[in-house]
Formats: sequence, structure tokens, C-alpha cells
Amino acid sequence: MDLAIFLVQLLNGLQYGLLLFLIASGLTLVFGVMGILNLAHGSMYMVGAYLAWYFFQGTESFLFSAVISAVIALMLGVLIERTLICRMYKRNHLDQVLLTIGMIFVFNALQSLLWGNDPLGVDVPDALSGSLHLTGVVEYPVYRIFVALFCVAIAAALYFVINRTRLGMLIRAGESNREMVECLGVDISRLYTIVFGAGVMLATIAGVVAAPMASIVPGMGEHVLISCFVVVVIGGMGSIKGALVGALLVGVVDTFASVVVPDVASMIVYILMAVILLIKPQGLFSN
Amino acid sequence: MSTHLLEVRGLHTLYGASHILHGVDLCIEPGQAVSLMGRNGMGKTTTLKSLLGVVTPRSGEVSFKGQRLDALPTWQRMRRGIAYVPEGRGMFHNLTVREHLQMANRPNDRGETQWDYDRVLALFPRLGERLDNLGTQLSGGEQQMLAIGRALLTNPDLLILDEATEGLAPLIRKEIWDVIRLIKQSGISTLIVDKNIQVLKTLCDQHVVLVKGRVAFSGNSQQLLENMSEVESYLSV
Repeated sequence: MDLAIFLVQLLNGLQYGLLLFLIASGLTLVFGVMGILNLAHGSMYMVGAYLAWYFFQGTESFLFSAVISAVIALMLGVLIERTLICRMYKRNHLDQVLLTIGMIFVFNALQSLLWGNDPLGVDVPDALSGSLHLTGVVEYPVYRIFVALFCVAIAAALYFVINRTRLGMLIRAGESNREMVECLGVDISRLYTIVFGAGVMLATIAGVVAAPMASIVPGMGEHVLISCFVVVVIGGMGSIKGALVGALLVGVVDTFASVVVPDVASMIVYILMAVILLIKPQGLFSN
Repeated sequence: MSTHLLEVRGLHTLYGASHILHGVDLCIEPGQAVSLMGRNGMGKTTTLKSLLGVVTPRSGEVSFKGQRLDALPTWQRMRRGIAYVPEGRGMFHNLTVREHLQMANRPNDRGETQWDYDRVLALFPRLGERLDNLGTQLSGGEQQMLAIGRALLTNPDLLILDEATEGLAPLIRKEIWDVIRLIKQSGISTLIVDKNIQVLKTLCDQHVVLVKGRVAFSGNSQQLLENMSEVESYLSV
């Protein structure tokens, strides 16, 4: 592998990893703070991509599509938490898994009903089309660089909210001792609604920004969900920092594996996960 | 309308099939300190958790400032002006001392702020030296100070302390009792669960002793002194 290919693959891996982080951060936040295993999290990624396509058809504006999709996602997240997830807090993980698997079927059926099963695509916004010359011979799409920087900005914002704001303190406290948070006069239900809504919004935004880079197809949610679980398990369930490190690891390893050892590429990340679990059974940054 | 700050009537609480509280009654007047005593497993913490709504009683009434609390979730009861320092101190493993105090800080239900961050640090100067440490990195005494400071920052009318001096060295224990006296003098009512009857008989105005989930003794400090041998028999192992 020459340096040019290596550089492009490294960028691809980092960009894919950062996108995975955007999705996995919501999954790990909802699990860490609320103790909820949400298998329908991948469906929110799919919903984001389809919403982006739908609004882009009508408006031709990617920015408008992204904003309106994020707002709808937040409302959808709040609705799901208030009507379904709130009934799961005192139930075990198996019940949560059954409910959220059921939600996957519902979202897939709705997607098929509303938008059909043909692959769809969204154009890269004009302002972000084209490529950047990294070296004399190496070019890299501007949109992919934008997605990577956007994900870094979201990660920084998430870090700021979790570590530097009162809301973040309450979220961390809720993760540590729910009963005590309530005993300080904090409405933990509202906190959970905010966290779940934010988690859904993060996954949906990931779907929106991924839409111009990937085919929008049925089942895209399940595929990304499995990768996200690998990320969350590697990073440690409930750890945002772990999700970032895990996502970058999975992104880079998966990308290089499909170039270097394409025949066995699909199993490399699982081998990586198994090795990390052998060394650190709770994941890299478990709480 | 009742003049009681807190009024608990006929509290029955069950854990599964185990009947823990058998009709507990408890009253606290504004500004009063009330002790709740009893041997281990007699229902003291269950009484606190029942009146806070952390566990749901089978029956009974809880009123605070003349308003019924029974139908309210825990957080809304606390917002009415109750603060709780739990047994074990309830530290958050992932929050620093500063964050423990900042996240709890709010005015009371009348919008007043008698206790703020600086006043709590003045009361507990040792916390000021450990602001960037995690709550769980503190010594037992410091954790207790943090738990009390955090509770005060919610600007309560009633402070409930569950085994606040348990497991502490004698000097630290004395320091905590001195702080509780100061809190009482500042006008905050207190409900104190502890085993140290020698301190409680002078610190508190009213005393309640539980035996097997029932009120075995209830009276003021004078009545406590008059019935000391009977009360001590309820408390001895």
C-alpha cells in the first residue's frame, strides 16, 4: 500500500469512525444514564437518511432538510420516550429488547409504506461538492471532510454539555444514583426525556449527514446498529469517551481490513472486540 | 388548617409480604428538631423513605406545610422544601465536590436563597480545599459534610438526616453534631435518625422511638428523661 492510498484510507476510516461515534454516543448515553437497551437506535439513523431524502426532494436545500429532520427527530424521540420507553424503566433488559425489536419492525414497515424499498440517494450540497488536493496526486471529497469536522464539532459540544453544564452534571448524577437525584428535587423523568430525545436526534443527524455519501436502503439501520454495539462494547457501556475511542478504532480497523484483507474483513472488528474484551472485560472506559 | 410542618399519620409500608411499618405517626413543628430512634431493622429508614415517596406506603397520610404529599412523586415533595441526607451519604461517583454542590443549588419554593455556595463552604472549610476531588475520594466525615452541604443548598424548611454520624471518628462526629446544632439555630427543622441518645436528648425537642415498625415512645425531652429506662430498653440490643 503506497502512502497516497494509506492516507485516503486513514481519512475514510476516521470519517467513518466519527460518524459511528455520532450514532453510538446516543446509544451509550441512553444506556448509561437510563439503563435502557435501545435496539431501535439504528432505525433512527435510517429515519434520518429517509427524512433527509424526503425533504431534499421537496426543497432542494440540504441545510433545510437537515434542520427540519433534526427537529422532527427530537419530537419523535420525546414521543417514543413518553409513550413507550417510560414504561420500561422498572423492567429488565429482556423486556426492553423485546419492545425495541418490535419498534424496528414498525419503523421498517413505515419506511416501506411511505418511501418504498428502492435505493434512494441525496445529492451532495453544491457548496460542499468537489475534492480537496491533499498531495499532488491525492484528492479527497470535501463533503467527507465536512462530515468528519461536523462530527468532531458535535463531539466537542457533547463533551461541553456533559462536563461543563448543570444539565450535564444532572445527567452524570442520574447515571450514578437515580434515587439521590430525585431526592434533590430533580424531575428525573424530564431528564430522561431530554437524554432520550438527544440520543434519537444524534442518530438521526448521523443519518442525515450520511445520506449524500451512502445509498439510502431498507435495513441500513440494522447494519449500523450492529457496528454501534461493537463500538459501545469496546468503549465500555455507558461511556461517551469510550464510544469515541471505540468508534475511531472500529472505523479505522474496518476500513483498512476491507482494503488489506477483503476476504475476512467482515470479521476483523469482531475479533478486535473479542481481544479487547479478553483484556478488559468491561470495555476500555467502563464506568 | 394544621400548624404542623410535617405530619405523618398511620403509615403502613410493606416490602413484598413483609409488613415493615404498622401505622407510624410523626409530627414536626416549624423550627423543631425531632429524633427518630430505634434498633437496626425497626423501620427508621423505611419511615423516611415512605414519607419521601421513595417507597410507596400501603396506606397512611403525609402532609407538609398543610398540603398532602401522598400523590406526589419524590422530586415534587423535595421541591416543597424537604432535603434528605441519606444513610451512606448518596455520593455521585462521577461528580466532583464542586459539582455536587452546584448541581443541587436552588432557591426554595418561595424563591428565597438563605444558603448559597459560599455560605456552605464557610460552614465546611474542608470542602473548599477538596473542590476538585470526586465525592467518593473524600473521607467519611468529609462525605457527610458534602451530603449536608448539598442538602442545605436546596434551601429546605426541613432537613432529614439518616445516620449522619454513623461510622465516623469521635472528633468528626462532634463536628457534625455542632453543624446540626447550627442548622437548627438557623431555623431549619430537622428530623434526625441516630442511635446516640445522649446527644439527641439535648439537641432535639421531640423524640420518637420505633420498635418493630410501631411507635413505642413519643414525647418531648422532659418526657424522654422521665421514661429514660423504658426508652433505653427499646434501644438496647
